[in-house]
Amino acid sequence: MKLLASIRSLMSAIFHHPRAESDLDEELRAHVHYRADDLERSGITRKEAERKAQIDFGGHEKYKEEAREEQRSYFLEALMQDLRFGLRVLRKSPSFTAMAILTLALGIGANTAIFTLANTMIFQHLPVRASNRLVVIWINNMEHSWSRIGPSGQDYLDWKARTKSFEDLFLFEHGTGTVTGQGEPEQVAGLRVTTNFGDFFGIKPFLGRTFLLEEAVAKNNLIILSYHYWQGKFGSNLSIVGRGITLNGEQYTIIGVLPPEVSTVFPGDVVVPFDNAWVERADSDLGVFGRLKKGVTVAQASSEMKVVMQGIALERPSRKGYGTVMVPLESARVEYIRPALLVLLGAVGFVLLIACANVANLMLARSVARQKEFALRVALGAGRGRMARQFLAESTLLALLGGGAGLLLAWWSTFLLMKYLPSRIPVPNAADTILLPTVHLDGTVLVFTLVISLVTGIVFGLLPIFQTLRCDVYETLKEGGKGALSSPRGNRARSALLIAEGALAFILVIGAGLMIKSFSHLLSQSPGFKPDHLLTLRIKLPDDAKDSPYKDPKQQIATFQRFLTKIQAVPGVGSAAFAEIVPLTQDDMDMGFFVIKEQPPLPPGEHLSSDFRDISPDYFRTMGIPLIQGRTFTDYDNLDKARVVIIDESLARHFFANQNPIGKHLQIPDARQPEREIVGIVGGVRDTGFDQQPRPTIYLPSQQDSDQSMSLVVRTNLPPTAILPAIKKAIWQVDSNLPVFNVRPMDEVILQITSAQRIAFLALDVMAILALVLAAIGIYGVTSYAVGQRTREMGIRMALGAQPGDVVRAVVGQGLKPMLWGLAIGLIAAVGLTRLMSSLLFGVTATDPLTFGGVALLLGVVALVACYIPARRAMQVDPMVALRHE
Amino acid sequence: MTVQAQILPGTLDLLILKAVSLGPSHGYGILLRIEQISGKALLIEQGALYPALFRLVRQGLLKANWGTSDNNRRAKFYDLTAAGQKRLRKEEESWNRLVSAIGTALGARPEEI
Repeated sequence: MKLLASIRSLMSAIFHHPRAESDLDEELRAHVHYRADDLERSGITRKEAERKAQIDFGGHEKYKEEAREEQRSYFLEALMQDLRFGLRVLRKSPSFTAMAILTLALGIGANTAIFTLANTMIFQHLPVRASNRLVVIWINNMEHSWSRIGPSGQDYLDWKARTKSFEDLFLFEHGTGTVTGQGEPEQVAGLRVTTNFGDFFGIKPFLGRTFLLEEAVAKNNLIILSYHYWQGKFGSNLSIVGRGITLNGEQYTIIGVLPPEVSTVFPGDVVVPFDNAWVERADSDLGVFGRLKKGVTVAQASSEMKVVMQGIALERPSRKGYGTVMVPLESARVEYIRPALLVLLGAVGFVLLIACANVANLMLARSVARQKEFALRVALGAGRGRMARQFLAESTLLALLGGGAGLLLAWWSTFLLMKYLPSRIPVPNAADTILLPTVHLDGTVLVFTLVISLVTGIVFGLLPIFQTLRCDVYETLKEGGKGALSSPRGNRARSALLIAEGALAFILVIGAGLMIKSFSHLLSQSPGFKPDHLLTLRIKLPDDAKDSPYKDPKQQIATFQRFLTKIQAVPGVGSAAFAEIVPLTQDDMDMGFFVIKEQPPLPPGEHLSSDFRDISPDYFRTMGIPLIQGRTFTDYDNLDKARVVIIDESLARHFFANQNPIGKHLQIPDARQPEREIVGIVGGVRDTGFDQQPRPTIYLPSQQDSDQSMSLVVRTNLPPTAILPAIKKAIWQVDSNLPVFNVRPMDEVILQITSAQRIAFLALDVMAILALVLAAIGIYGVTSYAVGQRTREMGIRMALGAQPGDVVRAVVGQGLKPMLWGLAIGLIAAVGLTRLMSSLLFGVTATDPLTFGGVALLLGVVALVACYIPARRAMQVDPMVALRHE
Repeated sequence: MTVQAQILPGTLDLLILKAVSLGPSHGYGILLRIEQISGKALLIEQGALYPALFRLVRQGLLKANWGTSDNNRRAKFYDLTAAGQKRLRKEEESWNRLVSAIGTALGARPEEI
C-alpha cells in the first residue's frame, strides 16, 4: 500500500499538468465571483452583477490560454533542465556512465537481435489471405506409427465433399521438371495445384492471371512462373504472358507471374494445374491445406475430421485405421525451430534482467555517493517530485543511450546472423525444407527497442528514488553523507539484486552448458559414413516426357552406367557411385515391407519394414561405409544374374537376432523377382539425422533395380567448385539435355540438418557469456563500492592488528554470500526451467549433474575473482591514510 | 474622475510585487489593491493579471497557497518569497533611479547644457 501511494504521488509530481489546469480554472472563476460580489454591493441584482463581471473580465479562454502557455513552457523548460542536468551528471562520472551504457547496450542489443529473429520467424504472418486460418492436413496411422503422411487425391475429394469446417480445401504436389530449349537444360522445382490456387491464397498475380476453376475439366498445359524464376530465366520480360515454354518435352503456355512474396510459402520455380482426372488418380504424399471458416477452431475441425475419416473407412477399407493431423500452417512451418527460438527469447529476457539489475546496482551505489547532494537540495526547497523527475530523467537518458548503442549492436549481430545462418531449414520427416525469411530490423523492432529502453529506464530509475526519498534529510546531513543507503536497508537492496543476478546468470549458463554438451555429443556421433570430401548431386532421366528414350528400365540402367564410366575418368575423382537417396539429404523416401523366406510367417497384419536403397557397386567404398561381413555388389550383379541384396547391421540385429543372415533370402512384395539372397552386411547409417538411430536398411544393386533419378556421390580431394564443371561436362557427354541439380558438398548437407541446434547453440553461448560478464561486472562493482565505503573501517581494523588476509576474507565473504544464495536459488529454478529445453537436447538430460556442478563451480570462481580484485585493494589500504580520510 | 495612466511595459510585475508585499492576497484582491494604492490612477486589465502571477510564481518571487477568504470563498493566496522581497527592493531602487534620472532630464533647461 505504501508503495502504491508513493507511486501515485510520484506520478502526480511528474505529470502535474492536468491538476494545474483545473487549479487555474478555479482561480479565474473565483476572480469573477469577487467582482460580482463587489458589483452586487453597488446595488444591482446578483444576476446582472455576474453578467457584468463576466463581461468586464473579458475573454476567459484567452487568459486561460495565455496562462497555459506559461505553464507549458515551464514544463518543457523544467524537462530540458532535467535532461541538461542529467547529461552533466553523466558526463561528470564517465566510468559509471560508460559501464552503465555498455551493460544496457549488451542487454538491449541482445534482446533486439533475438526479438528480430523471433519476430520474423514465429510471429509474422505469411503474406497470403487469411493466413491465420490456414491449416495443413496430414493423414496418420498410429498402428503403423506413421505420424504424418501426405493424403491422396481421393482423400482430398472426400474431405471436400464431407466436411463443413472449411471454406475451401487446396491440394498440391511438389515435383520437379526439366525445362529445355532455353540454354542449358534445367531442373525446375514445380508445384502442381488445384485450380483454386489463386483464390485460396488471395494471390494477385504480378503479371497475367492465375488458373480458372473450370480449367480443371481437362488437361491444360498452362504454367505460372514464380517471380524469381521469371526474373532469372526471362530477364523480367514484361511481355512474357502468352509465350511458350518446354517442360518435360511438352509445350506449356505461360499465363502469369506470381508476386515475389508468394515464395515465402512456395519457394518453387513454376506452378502447373491438376485436372480433375489427375486428382482422382493421384496417389498419396500430396499436400492438403484447408482454410477454416471464421470462428471454427482447429480442435473443432479436427473432431469433425475424425468422424469424416470413420465414414471414409467404411467406403474405402484401405483407409481403415487412418486419422488426420491438423496443424495451423504458420506454426507448422516453424515447428522445428520454434523451441529453439522460445528458449532464446527466454534467455535473452534473462540477460536484460541481469543488465537491469546491474545498472540498478550501479545507480544505487552512486546515489549513496550523492546522498548528501540530494539531502542538501531537499533542504534548499527542491520538491521531492522534482527530485524524482530528475532521477527518472537521468535513468531514462541512460537507457535511451544504452538502447541506441544496443540497436547498433543488434543491427550488426543480425547482419552476422544472416551471414552465418542457413537460409533453409529442413522440415522433419517431410523430405522438405522451408525457406527462412530474411531477417532485418524494421519498424516493429524499433518500437520494441524503444519500449524496452524506456521500461528499463523507468524500472531501474525507480529503485534508487524509493531509497533516496525515504531517507531522512536531517539525519543524512548530520551524518556527513552516510545516510540511508549505507544503512542495512540499502545493503539489503543491493544484496537482493546480487542474488537475483546470480540466480539468473546461473540458469543461463546452465542452459548454455547443456547446449554445448548436447551439441558436441551430436557432432561426435558418427553418421555411419565419412562425410568429408564428398560431393553430391542429383540427375533425373526425364522418362515421363513424350518420346523419352529413357522409358525402358534397361535403358535407364545403361545410361547411369555410362555416366559412371565418364565420371570415374574425370581427373581428381577418387571414386564415384550412384544412390537412389543420399543419407541426410532428405531428398526422398523409400520404405516398405519385406519377408524373410527362412523364417516362419508373421501373424496377419504384422509386417517387417525397412528402408530401401538402390546403389551402384562402388557406393560403400565412396561413402566410407564399412563392410562387416560378406561382399559388396559388383558389376556382375546385373539383370542377367541372380538377385542379391546387402543389409545393414541394424536390420541384421533386429530381424536375425542370432542367425547368420548371409545366404538367407528376402522377399520384397511387388517386386518382379521376389526372392533375393543376402550377400553382405554393412554398417548402419544415420539416414535421417544425427539425433536418430540407424534404421534397418536393405540395399539393392541399381543394375537390378532401375531408377529414374539418382544421386551421384563423388569422393574427391579437390574443392567441389573446381571439379564440378568437369563432372557436368562428363554427364553432358552422355546426354546434353539432362539437368544437374541439388549440387551440395556433404559438409554443407550436415551443416543444414544441424541448423536448428546450431542456432540455439551459438546464440545461447553468446548469451551465457554475456550473462557471466554482466554478473562479474555486477559483483565487482558492488564489492568495490563496499570496499570504498569501508576504507575507514579497514584502516581501523588493520591499525588494531588485523592481518591483510583477514581483511580479504571479510570483503570476499561479504561479496560472495549473496552470490552463493543466488546460485542456490538458480539451481532450484534451473532444474525446473531446463526441462523446457529438453526437446533441443540430445544425449544429455535436462538435469545433467555434471553440467550443473561444473557451471556452479564456474560461476563460483568468477564471483570469487570479481570479489578478490577489490578485496586486494582493501588489503593495500594504508591504515594511517584511511584514518585521516574523513 | 481621475486620469488613468497607461502602465509601462514591465512595470506590472513590479506593481504586483509591491501590492503583495503589503500583505498576502488573492488575485482579485491584488487588482483592487493596485487600484487603491495608485489612487485609482492605474487600472490593470483583469485577465492579464493571471499570466503575470503565474510567471512570478515560476520565477520563485511569489508563492501561492489555497486558503479561505473573508467571505468564506476558496481562493489562491499569493505571498512574497525571500527572493521576491529582494527583487522588489532592487526593482524599487532602480525604478526610483530611473524616475529621478528622467525627472532630472525632463527638468533640464537650455542654459544647463
